[in-house]
Amino acid sequence: MKRVLPLALMLLGALSTRAELPFIENDYQRAVREASAKNVPIFVEAWAPW
Amino acid sequence: MKAYVYTDKSLERYAGRFVWLSVNTEAAETAAFLKKYPIPALPTLLVLDPKRDTVALRYVGGATVPQLRKMLDDAERSHRARMEAQTDRLLAEADQLASEGKQADAAKTYDAAIRTAPGRWTRLGRAAESLVYSLSLAGDRERCTARALELYPRLKGTMAAANVASTGLWCAIALKQDADVAKLETYTREAFDNKKIEMSNDDRSGLYMALIEARDFEGDDEGAIALRGEWVAFLEEAAAKATTPEQRTVYDSHRLSAYLDLGMPEKAVPMLEQSERDFPDDYNPPSRLAYAYKALEQYDKALAASDRALAKVYGPRKLAVLSVRADIYMAKGDAKTAKETLVQAIEYGKSLPEGQRPDKRIAAFEKRLAEMK
Repeated sequence: MKRVLPLALMLLGALSTRAELPFIENDYQRAVREASAKNVPIFVEAWAPW
Repeated sequence: MKAYVYTDKSLERYAGRFVWLSVNTEAAETAAFLKKYPIPALPTLLVLDPKRDTVALRYVGGATVPQLRKMLDDAERSHRARMEAQTDRLLAEADQLASEGKQADAAKTYDAAIRTAPGRWTRLGRAAESLVYSLSLAGDRERCTARALELYPRLKGTMAAANVASTGLWCAIALKQDADVAKLETYTREAFDNKKIEMSNDDRSGLYMALIEARDFEGDDEGAIALRGEWVAFLEEAAAKATTPEQRTVYDSHRLSAYLDLGMPEKAVPMLEQSERDFPDDYNPPSRLAYAYKALEQYDKALAASDRALAKVYGPRKLAVLSVRADIYMAKGDAKTAKETLVQAIEYGKSLPEGQRPDKRIAAFEKRLAEMK
């Protein structure tokens, strides 16, 4: 029993290290609007689902 | 990259520094984007500058986390350099407009510079001070007040913050906006009390004037008198610490204002006489003495000082000396000579070359003269 709790905490810890970059999906105009408003550049990843 | 790279914790700090766009090249809605930015191979990584619609960085292929971090750092640095260059250009343009006397246009351009400025732009303080000052000179007191209120929190803890708050305070007082006056007075006071801000005596004296004006506006006579006393003590201490006559006379004009405000014009006389002895060619000491003696109702002494000032004064400043002289004659009950003095002032003003001709002042004299008739 004693080992179960630390293991669960470790798992939770591992999950929380996943960063979530707030990607906008496909909407270039929205990206331009948001970037202009915040005065920051746009990072684009062009990809295909194959 | 979705599975292994973008999920890396070390990229979290970039989240707010870019806008992140994922372009699925198979999706119909991305056709317009692909027409503009053809993508030859996948994946392709781009960093775009939204304002200029240009590519700041391009990389064909996938990237590891360290590679991506390097790319983001590089892209951010060059983006920042371009933005700074643009902002600096706007600031220089605004300075130029302000020095041409086009205050309303200058204010618009200072505003544009502040809007496009990247974070931690080192010239924000100067731009903000200049903006608020140009707005006040342009007579746009509403925007002067509003922008001072908005910009102060961004500048807090700097001399620029103190100047933005006090200029805004003068504008708010002129507009008689109670709530804005209260807020800008608090800001001015906060900067005034902040010992960490390096402030020249001149700057501090200017803040005293704004704070006193605010107390007067609030109808707080006791507070205003106390603050005036503090102001005078501060000026006297600064003057006492001066090591040269040049340094001491720096405080003459503020001290005279303070003594007049406190109803003690006699206290200004010895210092002004001393300055007149130290600087026999300077018209300022006798011109200030004329003012002090007028307040003391010693009109002959006032006129004698005015004579000495007139013998030395030149340029647009002469109108100010003549204006005080007209006031002295009026106070003395000699309306005829007062009028003649105003006529003389108007003629002299009109004889000045364009660029030095104080048109507003001349108009004010003409109005005054018309009212006397």
